[in-house]
Amino acid sequence: MNMYRFGRLLLGFLCVITGVPNGNADDSLLVRYDFRDRQGNTVHDRSGIGQPLDLTIDSPNNVRWSDGHLTITKPTHIVSKQPATKIIDAVNQSNALTVETWIKPANTLQEGPARIVSISSDPSQRNFTLGQEKNLYDVRLRSSRTSTNGIPSTSTPAKSLTPELTHVVFTRDARGQARVFINGRQTANRNVGGDLRNWDRGHHLILANERSKDRPWLGEFHAVSIYSRAISANEVLQKFRAGSHAEPGTSSPLTMAKKTGHFEKHIAPLFAEHCLECHDSAIHEGGLDLSKKAAAFAGGDRGKVITPGNAKDSELWQLVAKDKMPHDRAPLSDDEKNHLRKWLDEGAEWTIETIDPVVYKNEGHAGDVWIQRLTLPEYIATVKAAVDVDISREAEQLLPPDLRADGFRNTAYNLGIDLKHIEAYSKLAEIIVDRMDLLKFSSQFSKSRKLSTDDTMRDHVAKMGKWLFRGPLSSDEVNQFSGIATTVASAGGDFEEAIRYIVQAMLQSPRFVYRIEHQRGDGNRRLLDGYELASRMSYIVWGAPPDRELLDAADNGRLSSREQIESQLARMLKDPRTIERSEQFVIEWLNLDRLENLRPHEDRFPEWTSQLADDMRAESIAYFREIAWEQNRPLSDLLNAQVTFATPALAEFYNLKPQGDGLQRYDLSRVPHRGGLLTQGSVLTIGGDEASMVARGLFVLHDLLRGTINAPPPCVNTTPPPTKSGLTQRLIAEQRIGDSRCGVCHIRFEPLAFGLEQFDGIGAWHERDEHGNPLRSDGTILFPGTAKPIAYKSSAQLMDQLAKSDRVKESLAWKVTQFALGRPLIAADASYLAEIHQQSQKNGGTYASLISAIVMSDLVQTTRTQSEALSQKE
Amino acid sequence: MYDRHVHRRTILKGMGAITIGLPFLEEMGTPQVHAAESNKTVPVRAFNVFFGLGIPAPLQQEGFDGVLEPLKPLSKKLLIMRGVDHVRADEKGSNAHYDGAAAAFTAEPPDGEAKAGGGSIDQMIRHAAYPKGLPAGMVPTLVGGTFFRRSRVGRYVHSYNPDGTVAATMQEKPRDIFDRVFGSLAPTDGSPDARRERLKRSVLDTVVDQYRFYTGENSPLGHTSRTRIAEHLERIREYEQRAFAMNNKVEGAPPIPPDSKLPHGGTADPGGEGIDITLEELTSEWRLMADLYALAIQTDRTRFGSLTFLAAGERIRLTGNYEYNGRKVFEFNDKAQRRKSGSAGCSHEWWHEFRENKKNEELRAHAHMKMREVAYFLSRLDGKDSIDANGKTILENSLITISTESGDGRHNDIKRELSGIFHACTGAGGRFKTGQILDVNAEGLDVYNTMLSAMNVPKHLGPEKRTPAKIDSIRA
Repeated sequence: MNMYRFGRLLLGFLCVITGVPNGNADDSLLVRYDFRDRQGNTVHDRSGIGQPLDLTIDSPNNVRWSDGHLTITKPTHIVSKQPATKIIDAVNQSNALTVETWIKPANTLQEGPARIVSISSDPSQRNFTLGQEKNLYDVRLRSSRTSTNGIPSTSTPAKSLTPELTHVVFTRDARGQARVFINGRQTANRNVGGDLRNWDRGHHLILANERSKDRPWLGEFHAVSIYSRAISANEVLQKFRAGSHAEPGTSSPLTMAKKTGHFEKHIAPLFAEHCLECHDSAIHEGGLDLSKKAAAFAGGDRGKVITPGNAKDSELWQLVAKDKMPHDRAPLSDDEKNHLRKWLDEGAEWTIETIDPVVYKNEGHAGDVWIQRLTLPEYIATVKAAVDVDISREAEQLLPPDLRADGFRNTAYNLGIDLKHIEAYSKLAEIIVDRMDLLKFSSQFSKSRKLSTDDTMRDHVAKMGKWLFRGPLSSDEVNQFSGIATTVASAGGDFEEAIRYIVQAMLQSPRFVYRIEHQRGDGNRRLLDGYELASRMSYIVWGAPPDRELLDAADNGRLSSREQIESQLARMLKDPRTIERSEQFVIEWLNLDRLENLRPHEDRFPEWTSQLADDMRAESIAYFREIAWEQNRPLSDLLNAQVTFATPALAEFYNLKPQGDGLQRYDLSRVPHRGGLLTQGSVLTIGGDEASMVARGLFVLHDLLRGTINAPPPCVNTTPPPTKSGLTQRLIAEQRIGDSRCGVCHIRFEPLAFGLEQFDGIGAWHERDEHGNPLRSDGTILFPGTAKPIAYKSSAQLMDQLAKSDRVKESLAWKVTQFALGRPLIAADASYLAEIHQQSQKNGGTYASLISAIVMSDLVQTTRTQSEALSQKE
Repeated sequence: MYDRHVHRRTILKGMGAITIGLPFLEEMGTPQVHAAESNKTVPVRAFNVFFGLGIPAPLQQEGFDGVLEPLKPLSKKLLIMRGVDHVRADEKGSNAHYDGAAAAFTAEPPDGEAKAGGGSIDQMIRHAAYPKGLPAGMVPTLVGGTFFRRSRVGRYVHSYNPDGTVAATMQEKPRDIFDRVFGSLAPTDGSPDARRERLKRSVLDTVVDQYRFYTGENSPLGHTSRTRIAEHLERIREYEQRAFAMNNKVEGAPPIPPDSKLPHGGTADPGGEGIDITLEELTSEWRLMADLYALAIQTDRTRFGSLTFLAAGERIRLTGNYEYNGRKVFEFNDKAQRRKSGSAGCSHEWWHEFRENKKNEELRAHAHMKMREVAYFLSRLDGKDSIDANGKTILENSLITISTESGDGRHNDIKRELSGIFHACTGAGGRFKTGQILDVNAEGLDVYNTMLSAMNVPKHLGPEKRTPAKIDSIRA
């Protein structure tokens, strides 16, 4: 099977950004025993991680210390002084582990299996055991799909165990794939599905026996290490090659990654924020371009500004240190100055070719991993999918609206919670259960109608909860919800009433209202488990929870390989909810809800009505559906496709001949000035009554070109003068561009709106403005990162230029990705975005190809974790 | 520790001023035909006190020298009955803990998983003594308890209507009992349904438990997300305050008890696996429940009901130093002493391993402790604050029946298990003998019917056609 490769994670680049304190060589290491104690009855944990989990040898006379190993000569019992909670808690969070051992079995006769390494309490209660069963290794792992004894187990082939020094490694990843490696080679694998979050926190770590002392193992221990992730086959091989006493961090890609990155992490963002406004390829004041490596080292009109290895000699430092730069802007903070000086002193290593300021725009969010609350449409869709109740009317009435942040309503950090939410969730839960056929609903999970928690209710709750919560419940959760049944029973209630209150509680649970993922870890990325992935896929593609098939796939470990995931994705893309979700993207991206509140001045725009606003909204949605789905065209065609949809009123407003009632399709091939999103009323109204070139230009810059602009300097009068005879919006804009203080920024975006000059504030086309001034549509585009503007003669040419621009195509990929992830994109995402863009373009650049590329990318397949150390520092 | 020393008169005075204004919703439908009762009349009261797992019959033979020692100070006001059996309660397919517990105070096998086979002693008396309902404003039946085994209702609820349905909603936290007796759950939707409010409260409690988990130490969420969930939890608290505010606390009522620190709801019974608990935790909460329950009786807020100290088949792993009268009785440490975890490490197992010819040291200590706690509650009704109009204490004037689910916990002989079940009762105003340990050697059904007859209850428990046997030996 072509298993999905976690190795392509590009962790190197990412981990640079995460800024995890560089303590241990491999942050996933939990315990390490190197058996160098030489004497005594304690085996020391030398991981250096947290509280050492030292082991005590029960019968010191039954062991023999040697240089670098411990020989078990007679049965004994080497057990941790306290429960192995540091291992158990970490595995609980990561849902993955590796147990690496260097051992030498005394013979090939031991059985039971004889316990080599175990986290257990007696012969039938365990979290994990690596054992010897005569001439093979046997690994028992407790998960939500195996027994409390960890059965069925994973065994290596017969005769794979020999009485020689052997490197034995067991790994199990978050999707349930378990592997055993002997001397660097994989010798067994099976899917141990479910999750490891049911591990018992009371079990101790034991070597050479069971806790009950009745499964002894004899042989030599040279090294035992346990990690909270599944290390890759390549890492196993490297560890094997490094030998039994190599440092635990050997081969970890995480370690390697953390050694680089000062420039990307500190200097590039600093230049982007403070320098590139004036010193990029387009403006390059004083002849200095700090956005590109070669140009920056070449220097400006006065010569070189960077002297590698010596900050004092660098003009860049001299000006910054004296706060002469940035000019007319706030000086650098002390921290930023220190980073700059250090970078110069240490040789000014420049590790990326071009600094794109937009990449660093959201660095304030870089360390945050926000939980995602269901948005209003997601809540409605989730209720519908989960219990088949349409709650849209009541939910829209009762739940506060989700506010836009960073361009979208699903931005996790802004999905706050108010008392009104709590009241609404409670009230809505009551309404929902009132509308449900509770017995029919519950019968999907169990035919039993017993209230007894000893008999069937716990199992019933577990199955029902797994469906409503989009993943299995922990035993504590089963207990909590089962308790409602017993409370109902003790109040004289019956089974149906119990189900009513249990569902009511589940609908208010954080497991229902939020999309919960395991976020704690070492600060690096980790592979999602099957349930987490299923949820991400369904909310990204449908804005709704996983359906039965997807949840079953997660349940049965059928979301492991790339083929399996792609197959599910292909199926999901055919569901009509995919189109609805994509329309939600367009509504939020173009802020179409804004039209509902638009009130243009009625004297100037007497033709404006709220119905016209609704028609414009409908036009853009229908247009998107046509291009993205009906014609399956590249997403960039949204900029110049010569077609639109209009009601008779809107058609008339656009000077088109009405073709029938309702929303009709109009061919625009003979209407060159209108065609593409930017020529639709819904977008043109962004400029307000005055058809502001600033607002329209900034929309194109931000939302299509991914450009950045700093706020105007303080004390600048930003109120534009009104147009008059002889003074058009274009002329006013040109005045701003000509102003030395304003032009440096306005040159970047106002010419983008010149092509729209002939559209008034509500999108009507004119040859002359209200003062009789003739209007034009020619202008220039300065693509971010480039030095020379490209001229266009008409709005149609502008649209064509935008539609064929790779920058625009890439920006669309960024926008859809941001919506898919529900968070602003950060520098660490940039390399993934490049891959997503490339993959999507390879497959036609359509919406479907883009969503597929996003879902298959490591941005979705893996998640950022948040380390507690980092959290505490914050 | 909760300040339980609130003077009864203070509360009664406060109650007089405020009772009518209190929306004790469950009883609003009760006809207010019982106008002011004579100040000198002692009301009819009946309560059932249940403790889990029982006292093996052979240990009962040791009288107050054995595990019954803590009842000795109250012995003059109690009748200890030995040899009472509930063999008829055996139901195929359900375990004897449940059968025995369902039979306690009803003498009949359970009728399904959430119903008793008939009424319980307290409710039979209630319906007979107050056929038209209790005085307005009174809690008709108060059911409370401290327990951690909740798979079936019969294990912990011990007040049943004559048709076998539960007589009142279980109050399982001190705060619940406080709200029920001294305050009011203020419904937000105007619903006159205290039961519904109680269930909504349990939904909210479960939701709160979940949010608490996701903000706690073992949450899978990172710091940032935990902060968001903590905000959510805060808003729920705010909502809780508004939705379930104590609007009409009785004037002069005791202070609101602190929040319970013990597991409740589903977390109290993790699938029969048992919970770890210290003696201090267990007895602190139980005593608070007992204090509040006693105060409810003292202040005449209730006259009928039941109180449970540990459920039938209870599974706890107890730790702590157990002393009685300054003497160290035992050091509880079930898990370590049993050298097992999970359900196998629970005190319940000592009952399975009971052997007459062995010391049964651990079982004895647990049973002794249970008797100490039962005695604690009974003694609350026997002090200065519990003097009725006739000069006797509530303990003396009321019928308080104490029982459990089995007379032997070995699970290998159902007849033996459901025989010799410990019973005790108070004198009920001189109706029953006290100050004796009596070998009744009779069927529970006959004992209970005799008690009901003495309490002037015209109906009897059990099959209509059965010829009852009067157990005159218990009558005074």
